[in-house]
Amino acid sequence: MRIKEVVTGIMAAAFLFVIIVTIIFGSTGWTPSTEIRPLAKFYLENCFNVFNRTWWTASPEAVTSMLWDYRGIDTYYETSVFFLAVISGVALFRIAEIKLGTKKKELGLSIIVKTVTRLIFPLIIIVSISVAFHGNLTPGGGFQAGAIFAVAPLLLIAAFSRHYLEENIKLTKDKCLTLRTIGLTAITLIIALPVLAGALTLMQNQAKPWSPFFSFPEVVGPVWTSGTLFFLNVAEFLAVGAGFTLLFLLLSIPEEEFKRVFGL
Amino acid sequence: MSIETFFQLYGYAALIVIIAISLYGIVRGASLIKKLIALTILGDTANAFMIYLGFRFGRQYPPVLPTLKPTPEQIAWFTSVAVDPVPQCLVITAIVINMAITMFLAFLIIQTYRLYGTTMVKRITKLKG
Repeated sequence: MRIKEVVTGIMAAAFLFVIIVTIIFGSTGWTPSTEIRPLAKFYLENCFNVFNRTWWTASPEAVTSMLWDYRGIDTYYETSVFFLAVISGVALFRIAEIKLGTKKKELGLSIIVKTVTRLIFPLIIIVSISVAFHGNLTPGGGFQAGAIFAVAPLLLIAAFSRHYLEENIKLTKDKCLTLRTIGLTAITLIIALPVLAGALTLMQNQAKPWSPFFSFPEVVGPVWTSGTLFFLNVAEFLAVGAGFTLLFLLLSIPEEEFKRVFGL
Repeated sequence: MSIETFFQLYGYAALIVIIAISLYGIVRGASLIKKLIALTILGDTANAFMIYLGFRFGRQYPPVLPTLKPTPEQIAWFTSVAVDPVPQCLVITAIVINMAITMFLAFLIIQTYRLYGTTMVKRITKLKG
């Protein structure tokens, strides 16, 4: 027992020492004070360079243009990690059938909390939709909008009950699964579309020097969509928002249900 | 030491102290819940650390061009003042994935509690069957 503790302490100290040394000698990369790295300079210069469109992404938001264009495939894999985490949660909490209680008794918190929640609920939804739809022009995007959206059902579960969410708002587990699948399918379709249309790269947004045949229009009607970025943001919003709502719904299954199913 | 360097080192020192505390929590936490809390602190500190590496002292501007009809001068100005967008881009996905992984671990811990009636690591290792 004693040796184990000493070894753990030495390991933690070594880990910290390595972190400190890397920072002091700058081997985590050039840690700049007033200048930025050449790579970042390239992204900032080219993401909305309307005069030289060789490397542009048609979005004035450097972070979103990296997220869904320059490093798009990486984000796609991150989405699949998220997908797997949600699926594992669903698989763990898969119980035969959740019976909706027919209690007439008032569930949830006091009337003050409920009234405030009723007022705030639509506002949260509107903010999340706005963040998702403006993700290619202002700070924000699909991930953030989905995380904001998921707060609203969580608030309802806390203030009212799970039954309120499923009966009055009609946001059930199956609906969340469907919405999330729609979002993921849309992302996959948008990624595959350029290849079907004759481009040489997956996830092509604007024409590249090695694949000049295909680029999405940056403006559709009055809306500045930045090629695929707008649609990818909206699809990711659906996937993340519905995925988190699904997890919250599963987390709020009453304990008695599990005891009944497991026979405890 | 200039005031700029002082604040830079102060930020690094604070982040390293938080990493040390969270590592201690992960290793020595008695309950799985406490280990999970320490793990989320470690993840958030790593994210803050990455954002900190991309910071630009003296002249900061968010990496968003404020116009849809820029002039060449505006693009040059934007490149000279905006902070590094690369770490921000990494952190956006990392936060959401972190949250999903945390929820998955929470699911596992809840299930452990339901099946074994405890989240204390020492008691779980002594269980048989």
